[in-house]
Amino acid sequence: MSLQEVASSQIREVRLSALKRIAHRLAITNSIAMGVLWVITLLVAALFIYIIISLIVQGASTLISPAFYGTSDAGIAPELFNTFYILILTELILVPLSLAAAIYLVEYSPQGRFITVIHFAAETLSGVPSLVLGMFGFLVFAVYAHLGISRLAGALTLLCLNFPLALRLFEQSLASVPGDLREGALALGATKWRAIRTVVLPTALPVIITGVILTAGKIIGEAAALIFTMGLFNPSNVFTLNPMIPSDTLTTRLYYIKGPGAGTLSLTSSQETALAAGLSAVLVILLLIINLSARAIGRAIQRRVTAA
Amino acid sequence: MQLTQSAQQANRQSRRARLVDRVVSVVFLICAILLVAIILGVIYFIASQSFQVFLQGATLKGFFFGTFWDPTGEITGGAPSYGAGGLILGSVITTVCAMIIVVPFAIGTAVFFTEAAPQWLVRIMQPLIEIFTGIPSVVIGFLGLITIIPLMQKLSAPITGNLPTGGYGWASAILVLVIMVLPTTMSISIDALRSVPGSVREASLALGSTRWQLMYRAVIPACATGLGTAVVLGFTRAIGEALAVALVLGGSQIPNWPWTLAVFFQPNVNITSTIAANFQETAGAAQYAYWTLAFVLLVITLIFVSISHFLSSRSVYK
Repeated sequence: MSLQEVASSQIREVRLSALKRIAHRLAITNSIAMGVLWVITLLVAALFIYIIISLIVQGASTLISPAFYGTSDAGIAPELFNTFYILILTELILVPLSLAAAIYLVEYSPQGRFITVIHFAAETLSGVPSLVLGMFGFLVFAVYAHLGISRLAGALTLLCLNFPLALRLFEQSLASVPGDLREGALALGATKWRAIRTVVLPTALPVIITGVILTAGKIIGEAAALIFTMGLFNPSNVFTLNPMIPSDTLTTRLYYIKGPGAGTLSLTSSQETALAAGLSAVLVILLLIINLSARAIGRAIQRRVTAA
Repeated sequence: MQLTQSAQQANRQSRRARLVDRVVSVVFLICAILLVAIILGVIYFIASQSFQVFLQGATLKGFFFGTFWDPTGEITGGAPSYGAGGLILGSVITTVCAMIIVVPFAIGTAVFFTEAAPQWLVRIMQPLIEIFTGIPSVVIGFLGLITIIPLMQKLSAPITGNLPTGGYGWASAILVLVIMVLPTTMSISIDALRSVPGSVREASLALGSTRWQLMYRAVIPACATGLGTAVVLGFTRAIGEALAVALVLGGSQIPNWPWTLAVFFQPNVNITSTIAANFQETAGAAQYAYWTLAFVLLVITLIFVSISHFLSSRSVYK
């Protein structure tokens, strides 16, 4: 073995060990990073699961008492009625308006500045805090439009709040309809509106329904926008369809019991907490139902699409 | 003869159909423009109310740097005082502290979720995140009242000397905000990470990178603007959060200077809790002060939305 060969094999060994060190270091960094990410993710998942379970468990004892569903101070019958009433009233205004806007954006409007402006407006509106939107609703609908603190003023405020979300969901649902269906209808001589009415909307319907369900979740959970526009109290004849009366919902009732109204009802402090726990559990359960049904519909659509 | 008649009829029909089409498209256009009208209306009406307080004796300097908030004058029994500095500081401190906690958790979880998590974990987390982005804020506020506040009271007992109101305050508000904002920031981050095409990952792996290098050197830089948008929208949500925070803040004035660490554990204020508690009971000049607060909030969120819009216009992958 010549001197040169020995030298080169030594160099090779040095290089090899240096490479091994680097690989070792990288592997260690990688394992540490992965370990940290595992811990973070499991912590977050555990937090979420803990919160949902603890909310339902705390409310469980209230949920099984019949008085909870009555009309007394400790009952939530009026709030349940109001929540569904305001949900339906809002959807009746929200769905046609936002669906029409979505149809215009997807089907009629040319790509360009107009769509950008509308999308920027939607983005901005969805960033406005719901409390500020509630104040706007109070000023414009309750005071200037003389609707007073009423269900209608609340529904119109919720319309402003959910318009951007509904628009985005409906735009997505219309965009999911394949273009050749439209072209087929137009080629048969249908006008654009006829093509939309008879081909595009029926095809997009399941996705539109999912969108409606998702906005329903947001409407049920909203409180800050309603405390100034719909009030925190019920009149005595709450079970009517009159949209001009003030009323509370499950969420605003919960805020009132633990916030400004603590101690003003004919309840002890522990009864108040039990009622609030029951309200929280009902809200969480409603939300779970909404989420699960939206998923079920989504899966059904997938099945239909893949079967066809 | 008959042929021309039916041709005429068809002609009439198609003309009517075209007319209907035109009318419908105009109606739809109006609905789309309504959205722009709403946001312009929100800005106009709140701005127009917000300058009135300065005609009623408040000064700009006093409003933004004063720390005594008493627009009705009922606490002192004398002249109203419009010092919103404490409220603004409360909003800024709670939001910033909450986001400092949220960002590593949200982005860490999102990166792990999209790049390395096993399938079973994804199947559990996906619905959880979706449910939590929609959970009503009052519910989280209630949870804060019954779990976070007693915990904070115990933790802070050595610092505050075990006040009966201990536990209410900024620290609890920060934790409530973390729970409120974490899912939103996380789900937007996940969307941003998913928009990075697979070729970026493949290129990085082909160069022999470890999974951590793949995340840290390839995927995260590739969607940095998307993650930036997620953080900015988290800020927007946190600063506008009202009722949950109002329930756990429990104060009406900012504590007096000088502060120790105890300031985080005593009843305190921010912008939204003050508006939620008092706006409706006021009128006239006092109410104008609350409109100014709302305008401050609106301007802050508009700035955040513009930043997020700018970031998403700069992003490579959408």
